[in-house]
Formats: sequence, structure tokens, C-alpha cells
Amino acid sequence: MAIEDEVKPTRKDLMEIKERIELSEQGHETLEKKRDGLIMEFMEILEESQDVRENLSDDYERAQKRIDKARALDGDVAVRGAASARAETPRITLESKNIMGVVVPQIEGSKVQKDVGERGYSLLETSARIDEAAEAYEELLDTIILAAEIETAMKKMLEEIEKTKRRVNALEFKLIPELKDAQEFIELRLEEMEREEIFRLKKIKEKKEQEEKEERAREDMFDESATEA
Amino acid sequence: MSRRIAVVGAPSFTTGFRLAGVDEFREIRDENKDDELDGAVEDVLSLDDIGIVVMHQDDLDHLSHEVRENAETSVEPVVVTLGGEGEGALREKIKRAIGIDLMEQ
Repeated sequence: MAIEDEVKPTRKDLMEIKERIELSEQGHETLEKKRDGLIMEFMEILEESQDVRENLSDDYERAQKRIDKARALDGDVAVRGAASARAETPRITLESKNIMGVVVPQIEGSKVQKDVGERGYSLLETSARIDEAAEAYEELLDTIILAAEIETAMKKMLEEIEKTKRRVNALEFKLIPELKDAQEFIELRLEEMEREEIFRLKKIKEKKEQEEKEERAREDMFDESATEA
Repeated sequence: MSRRIAVVGAPSFTTGFRLAGVDEFREIRDENKDDELDGAVEDVLSLDDIGIVVMHQDDLDHLSHEVRENAETSVEPVVVTLGGEGEGALREKIKRAIGIDLMEQ
């Protein structure tokens, strides 16, 4: 819709628009600060995440090697048998913390790493290689929990950054220019109305002067005829 | 709230995690991945008491577009991938949100 249809060229509307521009510009500035702050926080988490990612792939590689070794020497059936006998399930608890208005999780793992005796399978029927593989996978789970915490935080931060960026852009490229256009439209229209008003007043004055002049001429003519008589 | 960890993938991928005590797992053989992986991932993502889903990065290629996007953007539970590149989706997201490729080495 054209701005001309939305606003009325009145001083009241002009004042309202000026207030809205001021508010939008303040909001734009605050959102820009928020966006920059979020990006700074994100950069810190990103660095941390790259370290965790490296650990994750190292731990995964080590765990894979150990289980491959156990499979090769003890047989797949023995490994799967031990896997089926596990008793305690590792659990995680989610808590949250707030980074610049973004709620990110803090994940704590419990019952992840266990002693050999707590693993559920029979120690007599399994080899030390299976123990080593189980231990490596428990360590891997710990790293996975850390990675999950960081990756969730990153996803949430990125969403918030995108949202803030969209708002900043909407204010900068849509709302503020539109309001400024409306302000310009009203100012031009008011000026035009003022000029029209002056022109009208001038015309009225001219007409009045003309009438007075005619009136005077008539009076003069009347006076002259009276003296003649 | 206390939650569990789930693993989805080939039996060779899940066994190690089961050895570490993970009891929520979906085993899909390689030849069935194109048909069954979508359902398995949707299933674990919908479970309330799952906090983390572990998958192999290469398995994401077997998912349909919609499920893959769900898995990559899901926060509760969050999907952690192992092996492969592992940063594709996140890298794209960073490029889109911040405007520069921060993961460039």
C-alpha cells in the first residue's frame, strides 16, 4: 500500500511518525548491540566446540579400534553377548543457563563410566579386550555428552543470531525507510498546504482591495454628482 | 529431568554403545537403511525421555530431506554425529546466520 494511503498529512501524524522513527532507531541500535554480543559469545563457544569435535573423533577412533580388536579375537557373538548383558544405563540430566537471553542446556552425565564389576556381564566369560572396548565407549559417551551440550548451545545461539539479524534488517531496510518516506510525504504535503493557504489569503486580500477600490470609486462618483447638483 | 541416550545405526555401530550401557537403540542393517532409517530416527526423536541421539554422520545421507532437517535442527533431543565430516549442516547454518565461514581452516 502506498504511504499516501496510510498517513494523513496532519501535524499530529507527523509528530507520531517522528516519535516512531526515534523509537525504531533506538531499537535498531539495541538489537545491533545484541547481535554483536551474541556473535562474540558464539565465537567463544565455536572455539570450544572445535576442541570437543577433535576429541570426539579421537575417542571414536580409539573406541572403534578396541571393539574391532575384541571382535577379531573374541568373536562378534561374545561382544554382542556382553553388550546385551549391560545392567546400568548411562543417564543425563539437563539444566539450563542463560547466555544473553538465550537459554542453553547444561548436560550432566551420570553412571557413564563404571568399574569393571558394575558392567553387568560375567567377568569370567569375557576377555579384558571387551572390558577395554567398554571403557573406551564409556569415555566416548562422556565426550558425546559434552559435544551435545555445546552443539545444542550453538544451534540455539545461531537461531537467536538469525532472528536478531532479521529484526535488525527489517528495521534498517523496511520500517525506518518507510517511516522516513511517510515523514517526507507529510512534510511536503504540509508545505504545499501552507503555500496554498498563503496564495488563497493573497487572493482574498486582492479581492478585498479590489472591492474597496470599487467602493471608493463609487463614493467619489456619488460625491461629484452631489456637488454638480 | 533425567534422560537417556539413544543410538541409531548399523549393528556394528550400536554394539559398542550397548557395551557402554546404552539401552535405547535401533539397529538397521546397511541394506535396509534407505527404507527403515527414516522411521527409526523419527521414532527416537519423538521419545520424551531421550536427551541425546548418537548417529554416524554417513547415515544422515540415507535420510529423507525432511527427517534429515529434523535431525539436524532438533535440540531436544540433540543429535550428535560421529565419523565423516560432521560439520556440514552447522557450517551452513553459521554461514547463513553470521555471513562468513567461521569454520574455514
